[in-house]
Amino acid sequence: MNDNIADLVDSRTGRQSRSIYASEDIYRQELERIFGRCWLFLVHTSQIPKPGDYFRTFMGEDDVIVIRQKDGSIKAFLNSCTHRGNRVCRADRGNARAFTCNYHGWSFSPDGALSGVPLENEAYFGELDRAKFGLIPVPKVAEYKGLVFGCWDANSPSLDDYLGDVKFFLDVWLDAMPGGSALLGETQKMVLGTNWKLPVENVCGDGYHLGWAHAGAMAAVQSMDLTGLSVGNSGVDLDGGLSVAGMNGHMVLSALDGVSGYAFYPDPKPILEYLEANRQTVIDRLGEVRGRQVWGAQVNITIFPNLQLLPGLNWFRVYHPKGPGQIEQWTWAMAENDMPEAVKAQILENQCLTFGLAGLFDNDDGDNLTACTEQSRGWRTAQMDVYTNMALGRSGKREGFPGDIAAGLVSEHNQRYFYRRWQEHMMAETWAEVPTYNINSLTEQEAEHA
Amino acid sequence: MLDRPLAPPPVEVIVAVTQALHREARLLDNEDFEGWLAMLGKDVSYRLELKSRRFRADRSPPLPFGPGVIFNEDLGRLKMRVDRLKSGFVWAEDPPNYIRRAVSNVEVLATQPDNEVRVHSVLVMHRNRIDGTTRLLTAARTDLWRGEGQAWLLAARDIVLDHSVLPDSNLNAFF
Repeated sequence: MNDNIADLVDSRTGRQSRSIYASEDIYRQELERIFGRCWLFLVHTSQIPKPGDYFRTFMGEDDVIVIRQKDGSIKAFLNSCTHRGNRVCRADRGNARAFTCNYHGWSFSPDGALSGVPLENEAYFGELDRAKFGLIPVPKVAEYKGLVFGCWDANSPSLDDYLGDVKFFLDVWLDAMPGGSALLGETQKMVLGTNWKLPVENVCGDGYHLGWAHAGAMAAVQSMDLTGLSVGNSGVDLDGGLSVAGMNGHMVLSALDGVSGYAFYPDPKPILEYLEANRQTVIDRLGEVRGRQVWGAQVNITIFPNLQLLPGLNWFRVYHPKGPGQIEQWTWAMAENDMPEAVKAQILENQCLTFGLAGLFDNDDGDNLTACTEQSRGWRTAQMDVYTNMALGRSGKREGFPGDIAAGLVSEHNQRYFYRRWQEHMMAETWAEVPTYNINSLTEQEAEHA
Repeated sequence: MLDRPLAPPPVEVIVAVTQALHREARLLDNEDFEGWLAMLGKDVSYRLELKSRRFRADRSPPLPFGPGVIFNEDLGRLKMRVDRLKSGFVWAEDPPNYIRRAVSNVEVLATQPDNEVRVHSVLVMHRNRIDGTTRLLTAARTDLWRGEGQAWLLAARDIVLDHSVLPDSNLNAFF
């Protein structure tokens, strides 16, 4: 264990030691204290609709299979045979009546039970206690409006409490319309040579890079204004958006115009028509602030530690760590079920165009994040610091919103809270030592009438 | 469709189309994007679909809106991608990267109408980027080439990428 975590991050000054992007020791501690402890996204219910449907994913570096049960519930198991440890499933997804290990043929049913053992009587002499050799379950699996999470830590708060006030923003996608949400398409997988925290901080709060790193893409596809952000970072309108943090380590960037989520669609017209046709429904369900200003606007939601979803650009992404200097980045398109078929098809299409494997925007980020990681590996650079110190101390309460809020999408307010949460987890030996905070929480009545 | 017609296309056609594939690879390697775009038909369809690793016996139904794509481009969209690459703002391409394409396993098959041929080929793309990071991508391509006037133009290309996880940080490159 590293006993110097307190020195590695300073949220008051926005300082991070570069060693947190390079050190193998710190990474092992992250696997235990962050990925072994936090609620981690597993699957969207739309991805495994029928009994026997399964989806393979990772919790930290642990390979897991998430399976829809006969009774409609969802369970998750380590994808590892209890005999000799081999993978029992090597497909990405599908539907199965059983998972059979390739090595010796042990077979497991979708509820994890060991259902078949070759030569059980002849070679084990009938003495194998099958009940002790089921697949290892993820002990806690819970759903929030279609998003299924798993957690290894018996002492964690409930998923509901873990999410806390970020649900105010999650509902803008998950519960704006009565039909709920879905993920579309196959998983878009890419290996990046970056530490996992760098893409998270990039999307959780860094509106600063948009007009510069993505200038070429913005010039190619931008069709509407997004809080004054412009090619080459020549201007910004800080009144047009919010950086929201202080919600148990979850962060949100939100524009406030109700339409700019679709600013990077070459042809946003069909979606704008959907938004306007349903605006009143959403206002009735979520109130004026969210219905008029947030729904349809560009919103970046980060669920600590490694899930990000962007209603508007409509991409949904998980970062799986693969060592201190590598990740697999998994992306899907996200839609509301009430959207017309043509709009859903357009969303899948545009998500692939902008943030897919050949995405006009996405292809700008990978090399920057990789280089930030590589430049922390030197003997000298590993001793140095990096900073997220833009707009220090300029945050507070905003009428109608929960959270500690800084003005605008260009601020490093959210990144500071991300690293603060990282530090809180890394220093805590148990969940009981991890603080819970939902700053400027709205009362139920305020939330309803917001 | 008969995949192995008794009469192959005339040898002149096979040579011309094969040469077009090689020329196309050279133009792209040299970042002569205008020259490449001039080899595409006005109605060109350029597609690369996503896929997933599934058991052979898996019977789950197709996804409601299909698998999604890496590329699903018409001429306008390809021009838009070229415009982005030429904008001077794509920092990942400056300094220029070393990219070399090798085209192989070319089969030119007769089809109807007479001025069109179906073409299978394999593309190996070697990318040496940044400070020496090397990635090797392989893909299969099924094309439709059309003789128009004095030239063979690419009318359609379906690409299959041989990587379930893209082993590179971008695909600022055409197959």
